[in-house]
Amino acid sequence: MPKRKLDPLPSAAFQILLALADEDRHGYGIMRQVAEQTESRMRLGPGTLYSSIQTLLEAKLIEEVGQREDAKLGQERRRYYRLTSGGRKLARSEAERLADLLRVARAKKILKGDYV
Amino acid sequence: MSEKIYACLLRLFPSHFREAYGDEALQLFRDRARDEKGFFQQVGLWLDLLADLAVSVPRQYRDVRPALADAAVQQRLGSAPAFFVLVDESPGPEALIFGCVLSMIALSTFSILLGHGGNHRPLSASGYQRGYATDSRPSAMAHATGQVPADAEDVTMSASRMELNEAMPSESQSTALLPPDSSPRPEALPPQLLDAAERKRLMNAVIDNLKQHYIDPQVARKMADALLAHNKNGDDDAVTDGRAFADLLTRQMREVSQDMHLEVVYSQSPLPHLLTEPSPEDLARYRKELEQDNCTFKRVEILPNNIGYLKLNTFPNPSMCQATARAAMASLNHADAIIFDLRDNRGGEPAMTALMAAYLFDHPEYWYNPRENTTEQSWTLSPVPANKLADKPVYVLTSARTFSGAEQFCYDLKMLKRATLVGEKTGGAAHAGVFHRIDDHFGIGIPETKTINPFSKTDWAETGVEPDVKVKAADALETAKKLAESKLQRK
Repeated sequence: MPKRKLDPLPSAAFQILLALADEDRHGYGIMRQVAEQTESRMRLGPGTLYSSIQTLLEAKLIEEVGQREDAKLGQERRRYYRLTSGGRKLARSEAERLADLLRVARAKKILKGDYV
Repeated sequence: MSEKIYACLLRLFPSHFREAYGDEALQLFRDRARDEKGFFQQVGLWLDLLADLAVSVPRQYRDVRPALADAAVQQRLGSAPAFFVLVDESPGPEALIFGCVLSMIALSTFSILLGHGGNHRPLSASGYQRGYATDSRPSAMAHATGQVPADAEDVTMSASRMELNEAMPSESQSTALLPPDSSPRPEALPPQLLDAAERKRLMNAVIDNLKQHYIDPQVARKMADALLAHNKNGDDDAVTDGRAFADLLTRQMREVSQDMHLEVVYSQSPLPHLLTEPSPEDLARYRKELEQDNCTFKRVEILPNNIGYLKLNTFPNPSMCQATARAAMASLNHADAIIFDLRDNRGGEPAMTALMAAYLFDHPEYWYNPRENTTEQSWTLSPVPANKLADKPVYVLTSARTFSGAEQFCYDLKMLKRATLVGEKTGGAAHAGVFHRIDDHFGIGIPETKTINPFSKTDWAETGVEPDVKVKAADALETAKKLAESKLQRK
């Protein structure tokens, strides 16, 4: 079932994979990172965020790495998530797919520039 | 406060999601609420959250389905019904208690309805007996339909025991109209159990009657085949009770014909042989009774605010009462609104309902009558010369004792949107067929007319006519007066 939900990869799930690419994050951290990397165009609400996390966990694309406090956010313990190698692979192939798409778009002169 | 609101909203998610991520979602909400201060940011936060809920809640529920669908496919292979548990957790005590209460309510509602429905069973034995005695008198229905029973064994049947007195001005008078030698009914005998031979004999008698009398010979043949097939297949074998067998045959006939007017009747006490046509003396007495009773026009008067009020307790035979009816309507001719009080009206002649209704239209209207073939006479004779009531508001007062012909009056006016019915649901007595006696305990009612009901597939048979304004019968007049007054004031 998770496979079906992730094919095609929803953009929220892709953004979460990207957000976890450089470090482990908790839910709110992921949300903020996604907002940052999309210049606030995508703000994941709790429902979308956690259902995506759930799906990614089931597909073993991310994993939980235990609970700890985030010093910047107070005493509360938070669940942290980490990208698995499978997740990293999927994120890369999705990025490549998008890059291919971009190349086509440029060839068709829909996008200008040639740096991809 | 806002956290509590969000915690409530989180309950929209399925429980498995709440258990796994409810706390974290709430934590995330707290984080955002802390970081995003200021009015606009707060508004933005809530817009985000609501949009998120709108998208993710349905998705959470939808995601359960593919699993179910797969399971369904696997389980259905056995062609047995399949059941699924949607939620893993077992129901809490409140849910169990609520379930118990709901089941009790459902069960008691069902049994009440069952009991209530039983009251409306057409032509129960005792009811039939009385209807029979009444109808065998001046045979009002025969007058109404122009049909005189072909042989002495036939009597025009009112298909519901509710119709007992309709042809008569009142119960007491109907008793008075019984012949002097009308002996007390034979004692009820203990019910006899039916054996196979007896069942077969009864079925054959029913088939003979259907073939001989039913309006559509082709359908009659099909019904006969079905009855024979049921008998051969042993569908009738378990039934030894007379009433149950009559009901079973009725069901089997109706399955084929869809004709709810058809029915086999069982009476525990012996059915009397039909008496001959009413004697001239009986008719004369009937006429005299009607005259003394002003043709059951109980009250005809103008109420305050120029509202005409007419209380009519039957729709008597026009050949005897036409003049009275016309005089009554004429005396109300200048009213601004008119109230027909049919709360004690037991029904009567369809022709009289049409005669009265003619005053309410300025052009001929189709006047549906389930007892007659649809003919030219199925239209009201409107406009009535010099009549001024055709465009006046009309209110009809009803009660659970409003029966038969009175229900026709209600039903047709309601369907034609010409009257506001105020009061209770009516009794539900509609149909008449011709009754054929099979033996001492069994008979069959067969409709011999074909009628077009332009309004609906069903009429008021057994269900009654629903009032437009539902109030207790006792309050109906006051309510109708108020309705009429406010309507007239608005003009």
